[in-house]
Amino acid sequence: MNPRTPGARDKLAFLLSLVPYLLDRRHSTVAEAAAHFDVPEDQVRQSVRLIAVSGVPGESTQYQHNDLFDIDWDAFEEHDEIIITHLVAIDDSPRFSSREAAALIAGLQYLSALPEQADRDVVGGLMAKLTRGASEAPLQVAVEQGAADETLSEIREAVASERQIEFTYINARDERERRRVDPLRIDSLDQNWYIRAWCHLRSGVRTFRLDRISDLTIIDAEITHRASDVTLPDTLFQASDADITVTVDIAKDAVPLIDEYIASTQAGESPDRVIASLRLAHIAGLGRLIVGLPGVARVIDPPEARQQIADWASRALSRYENDRRPSASVPPGHAVD
Amino acid sequence: MSDSTRAAPRVPVEERLFSLVLALVATESGLTKDAILSTVQGYRQRFSAGGDNASLERQFERDKDDIRDLGIPLETVTPPDEEGNSQNTRYRIPKGDYDLPEDVTFTAEEITLLGLAATVWREGTLSGESQRALMKLRSLGITELDPVIGVAPRLRTREAAFEPLRTALERHLVVSFPYIKPGDAAARTRTVAPLALVQHSGRWHLYALDVDIDERRTFLLSRMLQAPRSSSRTFEAPDDAESFSATALRDLDRIWEGNVATVRADPNTHAWFRLSRLHGSEAIDGDHFRLHFTDINILADEIAAFGPEAEALTPPSLRAAIVQRLTRTRSAHSDAEEAE
Repeated sequence: MNPRTPGARDKLAFLLSLVPYLLDRRHSTVAEAAAHFDVPEDQVRQSVRLIAVSGVPGESTQYQHNDLFDIDWDAFEEHDEIIITHLVAIDDSPRFSSREAAALIAGLQYLSALPEQADRDVVGGLMAKLTRGASEAPLQVAVEQGAADETLSEIREAVASERQIEFTYINARDERERRRVDPLRIDSLDQNWYIRAWCHLRSGVRTFRLDRISDLTIIDAEITHRASDVTLPDTLFQASDADITVTVDIAKDAVPLIDEYIASTQAGESPDRVIASLRLAHIAGLGRLIVGLPGVARVIDPPEARQQIADWASRALSRYENDRRPSASVPPGHAVD
Repeated sequence: MSDSTRAAPRVPVEERLFSLVLALVATESGLTKDAILSTVQGYRQRFSAGGDNASLERQFERDKDDIRDLGIPLETVTPPDEEGNSQNTRYRIPKGDYDLPEDVTFTAEEITLLGLAATVWREGTLSGESQRALMKLRSLGITELDPVIGVAPRLRTREAAFEPLRTALERHLVVSFPYIKPGDAAARTRTVAPLALVQHSGRWHLYALDVDIDERRTFLLSRMLQAPRSSSRTFEAPDDAESFSATALRDLDRIWEGNVATVRADPNTHAWFRLSRLHGSEAIDGDHFRLHFTDINILADEIAAFGPEAEALTPPSLRAAIVQRLTRTRSAHSDAEEAE
């Protein structure tokens, strides 16, 4: 329906942002502007060329010379310098849209889980400024402000001061080990926080989940590997040749919740079901993975995985065997519908 | 795309949009559509005096939407004595409403923090919107401090219902969706006026006015069985003193605070470890934990997922919900007669 190139709006936003920046600077270079906006130099050059020939129809409705922006063409063509010599219509930064302001406000709220961002006054002040700087009230999209975590705060400090840390870690196979690592980066994915680190025990880059870390100490030793020395993969979890494949029948809604494990999916028996192929390092944590999903989740293959889940559920049920047989009734409603 | 206007010299889209913004900011009394189409760069090349400009007019309608999407206050002014005569509708962008207010200024530290906040969104339209907001911030010419290194936060909106709801929220449209509560035999269609989207305990919720019962309700996006459908019906948002998102989050906090469960976990197991690190959990007695929750069914999913390592003690409804889940799982995996 819409033949528009997807980037046109973004290009317009850049033109409207570049003009006030160049006016404020009076004199700048293509390289400076590109670095400031974090865009390729060519985008700056093209935009400057467009600005320089743009303007308003004017009284003559003919876009006369005086109705157009103008730049010092010699400086631009010969030295890559940008000097606006005549301006029309706009000279100030544009306001934010209600969606733009809301996106930054929600991002700020989310960051309040980070120790250095915990200053609610700073966050609150910024939210008020974004609200005043928006052309309409920011869209009502908000994120619960997380409580700063003490362990996270210590790790953050170790990352900044490039110190090694040591902690007790319980892995997905329920094995507990004391680990000594060079912390490189703190990552998060929704409500979970992770430490990307060089692990001295495994001699490699590993990802650790914050809520499986305990008894953390910062060691008075510099890190041996820096983030710039190693490659931190973009994904938190990497597939390995040793992975096993498990086929499950799950509710469609459950797919996004385990998308990092899903290798492929196909249509299930009904429109709301999906057959998914999962790649896992081992089947020890499989019960945990699928029972936590909404709706009914069923392992189809391999048979030993099915057996393992059945045994695991039986052992769990034995803790409740003195309860009366469960009626089909549901727990009473709570305030979340 | 067979219209003759396609043959006219091509002016890039961004040049046409930029020229339209400049022309509408420069005019005080506004420009009529006819004046815009016949004189503004990008339209004038395709304008046919006295001819059919229908496709150009449609182009203008889409361009207005795009410009407004960027937060630019494009106004229409109709002279009071000429209501109903759209030929005389004038368009303009009041400069005072276009410019960022002078007292909205940012320090280098604040710009740096906002830069990090923008990286939280890495996919979907929210990512594009936060990048555009950053671009506008950078137009202020403030030099950022070194980017915050060593932190890569990321927040996702995985529910398919999120985008349609955000659009409905923006346009004040009444929406409907089939909603299923755990234990309900079938989904029921809810028709609501969306007031806020909030993330609480890691899950996205819709705070809305249920128009059938005229009461406010909070819905979990993950329980909407299909993406919400917008109606053409708009609504007037109630005039609260507090923002809807703040009210929604406070209500959820209160529910969380008021709901308490006790859970026993075998020491030094994965379950014990996770429970002891859980936000708001309180260890009583080494292997007992007191925890808060907003939704008993979600908590039941989480505790059931601990399997044999943990056991819910109270409330009894939580125990029952866990037994139900485990029984269901066992029967779905035993190859003998499957009965539920």
